[in-house]
Amino acid sequence: MSPQSRMILKADINRIYDDEYSEQKIKQEKFFVRPSRQRKMKKTKWFSIGMGIDLPFCAIILILLTIGTIMMFSASYANAYKYQGDSYYYLERQLIFIAIGIVAMALMSFFNYNKLHRIAFIVLLISYISLAVVLAIPTSTGIKRWIPLGMFNIQPSEIAKFAIILFFAHWSSKYYNKMQFARYSVLPGIIVFSTTAILLFLEPHYSGIVILGILTVLMLYIGGMKTKYLVIGVLILGAVVILLALTGQLSYAMSRLDGWGQALEYTTEEMWQTTWQTRNSLYAIGSGGLWGLGLGQSRQKYLYLPEPQNDFIFAIVVEELGLIGATIILLIFALLVWRGITLSLRAKDKFGKILGIGLTSQIGIQVVLNILVITDWLPNTGISLPFFSYGGSSLIMLMAQMGIVLSISRTANIERQ
Amino acid sequence: MENQKNTPIKSKKRAEKGPNQRLRQRTAILIVLILIIGFGAAIGRLGYLTLVQGNELQEKAVNQQLKDTTIRAKRGTIYDKNGKVLAESASVWQVVLAPANFKNDEQRVAAARGLSEILELDYDNVYEKTKQNSYYVVVKRKIEVEARDKVLELSEQLSKEYNCGNVIQILDDYKRYYPQNDLASCVIGFTGSDEQGLEGIEYQYDSYLSGTPGRIVSAKTSLGTDMPFQYEQSVDSEDGNNVYLTIDETAQSICEKYMKQGIQDYNVLNRGVCIAMDVNTGEIIAMVTVGGYDLNNPYELSEADQKEIEALPEDERSQAESEKLAAMWRNKAVTDTYSPGSVFKICVASMALEENKVNDKSTFSCTGSMTFGKDIIHCHLHSGHGTQNFVQAICNSCNPAFIQIGQLVGMNKFCQYYESFGFREKTGIDLPGETTGKFWDNDMSEVDLAVASFGQNFTITPIQMITACAAVANGGEILQPYVVSKITDSEGNVVKTFEKNVKRQVISKETSDRMNEILAYNTETAGATAGYVAGYKVAGKTGTTEKVDVKDPISVFSEDYIASFCGYAPADDPQIAMLVFFDTPSGSAYYGSQVASPVFINIMSELLPYLEIKTDYKESELQYVDATAGNYIGLSLDKAKEQIKNDGFEVTVKGTGDKVISQIPSVSSKLANGGTIVLYTDEDSREQTVTVPNLVGLSATQVNSVASSYGLNISFKGAVSSGGLSTRQDIAEGTSVSPGSVITVTFSSSSDNSFND
Repeated sequence: MSPQSRMILKADINRIYDDEYSEQKIKQEKFFVRPSRQRKMKKTKWFSIGMGIDLPFCAIILILLTIGTIMMFSASYANAYKYQGDSYYYLERQLIFIAIGIVAMALMSFFNYNKLHRIAFIVLLISYISLAVVLAIPTSTGIKRWIPLGMFNIQPSEIAKFAIILFFAHWSSKYYNKMQFARYSVLPGIIVFSTTAILLFLEPHYSGIVILGILTVLMLYIGGMKTKYLVIGVLILGAVVILLALTGQLSYAMSRLDGWGQALEYTTEEMWQTTWQTRNSLYAIGSGGLWGLGLGQSRQKYLYLPEPQNDFIFAIVVEELGLIGATIILLIFALLVWRGITLSLRAKDKFGKILGIGLTSQIGIQVVLNILVITDWLPNTGISLPFFSYGGSSLIMLMAQMGIVLSISRTANIERQ
Repeated sequence: MENQKNTPIKSKKRAEKGPNQRLRQRTAILIVLILIIGFGAAIGRLGYLTLVQGNELQEKAVNQQLKDTTIRAKRGTIYDKNGKVLAESASVWQVVLAPANFKNDEQRVAAARGLSEILELDYDNVYEKTKQNSYYVVVKRKIEVEARDKVLELSEQLSKEYNCGNVIQILDDYKRYYPQNDLASCVIGFTGSDEQGLEGIEYQYDSYLSGTPGRIVSAKTSLGTDMPFQYEQSVDSEDGNNVYLTIDETAQSICEKYMKQGIQDYNVLNRGVCIAMDVNTGEIIAMVTVGGYDLNNPYELSEADQKEIEALPEDERSQAESEKLAAMWRNKAVTDTYSPGSVFKICVASMALEENKVNDKSTFSCTGSMTFGKDIIHCHLHSGHGTQNFVQAICNSCNPAFIQIGQLVGMNKFCQYYESFGFREKTGIDLPGETTGKFWDNDMSEVDLAVASFGQNFTITPIQMITACAAVANGGEILQPYVVSKITDSEGNVVKTFEKNVKRQVISKETSDRMNEILAYNTETAGATAGYVAGYKVAGKTGTTEKVDVKDPISVFSEDYIASFCGYAPADDPQIAMLVFFDTPSGSAYYGSQVASPVFINIMSELLPYLEIKTDYKESELQYVDATAGNYIGLSLDKAKEQIKNDGFEVTVKGTGDKVISQIPSVSSKLANGGTIVLYTDEDSREQTVTVPNLVGLSATQVNSVASSYGLNISFKGAVSSGGLSTRQDIAEGTSVSPGSVITVTFSSSSDNSFND
């Protein structure tokens, strides 16, 4: 690193004021950003500055995708063979999703994220519409979470997550100076979250509500909401949950919560069946030990752990790669979050900062919640592991969001003068 | 915040509180929350589960993943002394369903229909089983080859037509066969549904017989199919060991035959016991508890018992049935106790001799009763035996005399000998359920001693009695009786042998020799001619026990008796001791001399020759001893006559030919020495018949003369030379038979002698 660039970097980090939000200015900007000639001249750089994407961040994503895909294949093939008649069933589809996802990520990385300012409300509207549409689609189980779209299904809650992050990034960067007032922070927070939560509640998709709640609070906190409102908010949230529980509306979630923490003890046959997935997850994790049984050597994936390619994929990862392998993977995730947050902090405007932090934090939160679920510290509520769990729409959505972070990284650390 | 347009350089100080600073601080908190606390908790939790709880969880996982298939071991065979099979296992199969693999009802119906047809089961029952959500439901056990093949065909058919080949499994199973049915049932015992020994030898030697089951451990998916990697360990099963009994199948059936007959003849209500023991080793040669059961159907009660149960109210039936079964399975010889009565006098006499308290010159007087305070003890001969010497006292089985002998021995010595004869301990016979009886501890009174001296008011087991008797016979050694001689592995290598085990010396060789003489004299000449076996010197003693009312043992005697006889042969070189006892004979005869002795004689006279024990006939006995008819057919008449004379028989010729075309008795049949062989020389003469006369209630000489006047032959059985009367003829009076036919006539001691008890 040249002394000059280090100086620039230092200046960027210490940047105190961001570019101000200006609708006019955004309108004038181009939709797609292109690396400047000057940036292109620079060769292999670890810390890309200016118009180039952040290579470490991109590399981490690709590493996680690679490991995730290998593990997804390893975890899924017995299940795929049994239920789909083809061991490669999930792998083939996942590879297609990844291809689409990488294209989406690349496209989004060139997309001028500032344009998202203008469509924040539109995205939120799409989120509401899709959440409403999904309720209208009849299902056999009575649980309405997916909109079937031919080859893959769309989970409206995935859209909702992005919509909420985008909306609050837009809102709080636009009204950053007024965020200390409750009507600019707490009020929109309550309105947007509660309306979304009601729709999710009808699906029902409680883990979605939990993640959205955490994201809303996180976005408002980063966006400058007063800490006391945060405390009040948490208290109100707690009260609402208690109220729902008392009115018996949480029956579905409760039936899942029932077996929470007692997966290993036999009480009743019904409970034993309910905790089947969690118990076998624990068996898999315990079997892994320090070094694991070796790649591809999981035994629990042979139809003991139901749907090992989905939420519980990391249990198989631990079984095969052990605590060492699992820790390395988690550290890579942590690195991703770290890198994503730090690069976002260098964005040239508040919107980029808050949006980037929101999008990367979302991954960290989901990873942590996923691990706590598969280790029976949280009830089994259906939280997927980013880059690992099988799933079309969510993976593509995720990759596109990573594209946005990469787009932000292009503007990060740029000299202001 | 209001100063947004300030350049960063100018407002460096204020920058500390600028909006980005707040953002950075909050981001830092966020990073701490997510990365340090969140990821830290996740990794910590994983570490706890993998490292701390890892072994426990892994074990549970492995238990779930490993399917353990047991390979059953073949249960060992039980042989008699000579290698004849008494119990063996044969390979059969069991049909097991994995109903969880059914995908639709059509498959279930097809499988249930097929199985119920082949295995002759109720369709609804099988169909219910196909609906269970399990991978292991036993449909039927112990099926034979034909059924197995049909089930395999069905499985293939299901696989082809209904695409469910993975629901029916055939597993190995074994079935226990007892080729001799009820022979020695109380000794051999039987096995349960899993071939676990439940009674007798099957129970006692279960650990040897059962073998070690093998295992195949392999990793399976949750559906029970193999995982695609090598993970299999197998341990071969080890077949069970074979057990060889000391019991001789032929000897056992001889004993059972006569015991069953005795039960019928004397209308015995509570079964009978016969034990034959090698006095020099302690081997049990035969052990009979009559009223045994078919080992192949151990849960089937006798018809009489079934009727009795059916007569009961419904709610009492199952208890009554299990009580009846338990009683039927009981090996009376080792688990039931009784008062030995006069038989015990053998022991009392031995201890008195051993202690030099009596000799041949000692005299005892009997007035018919003795008085102990309030209690009067009667002799069985109410008029009294008068003055007797020691040998006479034994032969008379005089109670007052033995009370005096007991007093001479003294209470302390009496109890000491009682203990060293082994009556207070288990004999240690290798059969389950052995018990010991009741005896006084330290509270024995003079009356108790008096009564005990003639074998009343205490109880022992039959096996204890014969063990003590064997000690008197063999020179004084108390042996440990045993029924298993050796154990071999499935290839025939000897794993364990059982040998003579001398527990202690109870009397000296001299005393033993003297007792042998006295007891032989007893059977031969004195009152107890019962027990006499022609051709052998038998020593023995009868016993009749009055079954005592438990509440008031001294004065109240019930009407029930136990008739027993304990003896051994040959008296000059004792080999076999035998105890015969019948519990509660209800006919007119109930004395040991009337009931037990004849059976003892019958058994001994067949058993001793079988065991090739040397005979020693007296001149007078020879005419009653069986000889074997030779083959005279095809010979010329003269030659045949000559040969018959040489063989020691008389001859009668029927017909006019000069060549023998047939003979009666036929070749190799048994008839009395000096009997008549009838030779036929033409066809016409063969149609002649004679009508069998009555031969019961006569003396041996009378029988002989009647038979010869009819031209019939006699085979003498039982107490012939001791002046007994015939009690049974095997061909009934009035039957038409060919001249020369052999009629077996059984003799019993005359009832005059029955009071010598």
